[in-house]
Amino acid sequence: VQNSKLMFSQNFEADIISTVEFNYSGDLLATGDKGGRVVIFQREQENKSRPHSRGEYNVYSTFQSHEPEFDYLKSLEIEEKINKIRWLPQQNAAHFLLSTNDKTIKLWKISERDKRAEGYNLKDEDGRLRDPFRITALRVPILKPMDLMVEASPRRIFANAHTYHINSISVNSDHETYLSADDLRINLWHLEITDRSFNIVDMKPANMEELAEVITAAEFHPHQCNVLVYSSSKGTVRLCDMRSSALCDRHSKFFEEPEDPSSRSFFSEIISSISDVKFSHSGRYMMTRDYLSVKVWDLNMESRPVETHQVHEYLRSKLCSLYENDCIFDKFECCWNGSDSAIMTGSYNNFFRMFDRNARRDVTLEASRENSKPRASLKPRKVCTGGKRKKDEISVDSLDFNKKILHTAWHPLENIIAVAATNNLYIFQDKVN
Amino acid sequence: MEFKLEAHRIVSISLGKIYNSRVQRGGIKLHKNLLVSLVLRSARQVYLSDPCPGLYLAGPAGTPAPPPQQPGEPAAGPPAGWGEPPPPAARAAWPEPERPAVPDAPWVGGAEPTATVTGAADAPQGRAADAAEAAWGRVEGPREAAARGAGSPAGGSDAFPEAPQAARRPCACPSGGEDRRGAAAASPGADRRCAPPPSADESPAPPAVCPRKRGAAGVGGGPAGCPAPGSTPLKKPRRNLEEQPGREEDDGAEEMETGNVANLISIFGSSFSGLLRKSSGGGREEEEGEESGPEAAEPGQICCDKPVLRDMNPWSTAIVAF
Repeated sequence: VQNSKLMFSQNFEADIISTVEFNYSGDLLATGDKGGRVVIFQREQENKSRPHSRGEYNVYSTFQSHEPEFDYLKSLEIEEKINKIRWLPQQNAAHFLLSTNDKTIKLWKISERDKRAEGYNLKDEDGRLRDPFRITALRVPILKPMDLMVEASPRRIFANAHTYHINSISVNSDHETYLSADDLRINLWHLEITDRSFNIVDMKPANMEELAEVITAAEFHPHQCNVLVYSSSKGTVRLCDMRSSALCDRHSKFFEEPEDPSSRSFFSEIISSISDVKFSHSGRYMMTRDYLSVKVWDLNMESRPVETHQVHEYLRSKLCSLYENDCIFDKFECCWNGSDSAIMTGSYNNFFRMFDRNARRDVTLEASRENSKPRASLKPRKVCTGGKRKKDEISVDSLDFNKKILHTAWHPLENIIAVAATNNLYIFQDKVN
Repeated sequence: MEFKLEAHRIVSISLGKIYNSRVQRGGIKLHKNLLVSLVLRSARQVYLSDPCPGLYLAGPAGTPAPPPQQPGEPAAGPPAGWGEPPPPAARAAWPEPERPAVPDAPWVGGAEPTATVTGAADAPQGRAADAAEAAWGRVEGPREAAARGAGSPAGGSDAFPEAPQAARRPCACPSGGEDRRGAAAASPGADRRCAPPPSADESPAPPAVCPRKRGAAGVGGGPAGCPAPGSTPLKKPRRNLEEQPGREEDDGAEEMETGNVANLISIFGSSFSGLLRKSSGGGREEEEGEESGPEAAEPGQICCDKPVLRDMNPWSTAIVAF
């Protein structure tokens, strides 16, 4: 894997990247950050005069998606951090994406403008209004080329539907509806309608004191528009079919792996909480991420996953420290490659892990400036779990737990990955092909 | 004993996290606080189950000493027929559910002294307990009276402050994987939630059935059903347009229900010092003045942690109430 491009930014907290997402073609890559901004990168087209620039991603558009808000009724500050971005399939020249913070989802239209009209009658070229009484002749404005300008405008604002913090949005394969999920509820929206949504899952107990489980992630099936899954803090996944009833409290399938009683600890519940769930592109499998592992499930088998990959099992003995410093609550995401043959997820020390499902190999790589020169290959890393530390290995106690890779994305068609390391975005390409 | 120290430490850390969560930007994070409360409960379980040699309290006068079970084991379950407490011998007869060595917290902690042997009708402590009890009032009435009757086995399952969790905890309906909402059996070991049968709200709980027995009728069972007596009144599936009468949100914008935090903090403030102090044999003293009176003789608890333990119950209930 070679390093293709490195994006740097100053080390301010608002710049911490909170979500990364390729669009359906992979030509656009959107990132959201803690400051409520969205930055979209576009892949350069092949250009003979700049042969090296093909495949590079450059900034295409930047806009402020969400602002901090204050809910006066509840005396709550609403963070502007972008929790998720999801692209809509492209239907015309413009691009659309959904971005959400804790409470409000927005549909953004990103469009290009490379022409502008000149020769208006009622205003002159500076934009000042002309005195209508001075106009003696009419002319038809003509379009003239201009420097490309990319504009982002909010087309819909879907607000006031969530009492709890939104953790997921997912666009349906019907391209007309989408879901939004918070800790206890999942709502179904129509992209055109902002003033109402349907509640399709409700896990809130009548008595909040009995709360035992929250929703942690939700996603629509990539092909079956009536099927969705949602994961819980108890390590379970429920698959629901919206055709069976309006309220999907009754699941069609329930995925849970029995807990291994021998590994029980104070923190068993925390580390079994699922932080991300993703369907494979084929729609036949889904993947869940809990604190120490990723699991691949066959949708036809609920009793246990078909694959379990350890991400950083060496942390199991450190759970108490990780609880103290809050790292145990980190929510790692995971992603499939385009062919579903590989999966990727992040870890600490700016490490991220890739698992080749067919070859049954895995590799640990590091996203860091020191180790990544443009067009250099990434070197596999290894964590030394005990005993004598070999050269180039890093010991568990030397890991930097502030450098966490929570968000990664894989190009839908090619071997290009985007890795968010705090406030830096790394894009790696596999040039072997 | 080192488990106890570790558990103690984890409890302190957990409470600190909950306390700090109040000031976090963006409001209290439900998920994180739920997880912290689960850790808190696990730590408390271990804390209580780690035996202090020789410190089991003999039952108060008039009650046979509890059999050597897990401390605070509310083995009695619901009194048969609602009217009378089961004979003490029945305690040992209750089969254990599929519980591992570590007792489930609410049972343990549930040696919450509402049902004191002396029959003092002290109110369950903690605001959380009150809320829970209020929610259950209708269902719990006869049991409560019975539990407070003389001779009620110590600590009983009638652990009101823990009631919502306690009663539901043993209901590990084997086939009850169906996740009826609200049937949260939050025990660490249980991986199934017990679904309250739709009809269970008004009817008296199964009279003589141990709540911890797996309901023969499984999920949908009626009288013999899994849900323990006193499981929450019916939680109707929430439809978009139907509002459950009496729901908190009826009056308008739904609250995240973080009001419990304030109470949690006040409890926290007064009790934290006791939590840190490794008490032995005496429990805490003056700070617990108002609570230690009637409960002084509660049976079935590790006496060295008695007041600490008591105070931890409303905490965990309040925490979950986020």
